[in-house]
Amino acid sequence: MAGFLKVLLRNALQGPSTDPYPFAPTFSPKEIRGQVVVDPEKCMGCGICDYTCVAGAIHIDKREDGHTITVYHNACCRCANCYKYCPVGAIYLTDNWHSAHDHAVQYEQIEQQVITKEHCLNCGEPIRPIPLELATRLYAGKDDIDPDHVRHLCPKCRQMEDARRLHNSLAKPEQA
Amino acid sequence: MSDILNKLSVRSPWLFRINAGSCNGCDVELATTACIPRYDVERFGCRYCGSPRHADIVLITGPLTARVKDKVLKVWDEIPNPKVTVAVGICPISGGVFREGYSIVGPIDRYIPVDVNVPGCPPRPQAILEGVVLAKQIWMKKLGLVEG
Repeated sequence: MAGFLKVLLRNALQGPSTDPYPFAPTFSPKEIRGQVVVDPEKCMGCGICDYTCVAGAIHIDKREDGHTITVYHNACCRCANCYKYCPVGAIYLTDNWHSAHDHAVQYEQIEQQVITKEHCLNCGEPIRPIPLELATRLYAGKDDIDPDHVRHLCPKCRQMEDARRLHNSLAKPEQA
Repeated sequence: MSDILNKLSVRSPWLFRINAGSCNGCDVELATTACIPRYDVERFGCRYCGSPRHADIVLITGPLTARVKDKVLKVWDEIPNPKVTVAVGICPISGGVFREGYSIVGPIDRYIPVDVNVPGCPPRPQAILEGVVLAKQIWMKKLGLVEG
């Protein structure tokens, strides 16, 4: 009897435990895995997300002047493998879990980014520039290299630049 | 008479759950919507029923394996019209991680006309509630009680 009164009192004080959703806004837990988003500024089109996607939700169509990356939300199992393996951090999961939709629009439930290549500053070959964040990390501690310049060079021109720099650094002590 | 019945029954579509070879993840989430007071699907007048003949909204989980295909279609046919089909989880929608498996004959819209999709692996209970509310609207449209 006393136990029942205790429960009654507690419920009277705490109020209803039902979440009022969908009539009122609800909460999202921290680190919930929701719909995938692609950052078109960073994506290099390497295809590791396509390779590691267990559900086959990611497709990359390569073209002469770039690539198109498509993520089908209706196939994505939100395992975050793409986020884990993406070397440039271009693909990540948001906390948007509002996914219910009419069957008629099921093929519109996609995340699609059309990404075009830029030209190498030196030779003009079409390339995808390395994200600035990654370039800064790669060339950390080398004050004579401007990562924002180097990231816009094609691999060949980067090698040439490196060789020229090495040659200069070797040549200088002799002159002095 | 049937008009009156339709108007009276509009407040409470009953739910029926078909497991078409699911891994039980989505079924756990469906049980959560009914059994845990925080989500409480019975606020919308919905309740899970044991017989397909009492159901109005059918929630299908799982990628439709070859073994259960005929049974699922048989049970689905027993649900009286108008019925609303909700595909819960990515498996019935696209095959999900089991897609193109040797024992998978889905996705489910090859055999059954689906009305609402709730993707997720598994979807959140609140996402399932969203889907049920959407299904209820479609059901009212099918009954002709709501313009649209």
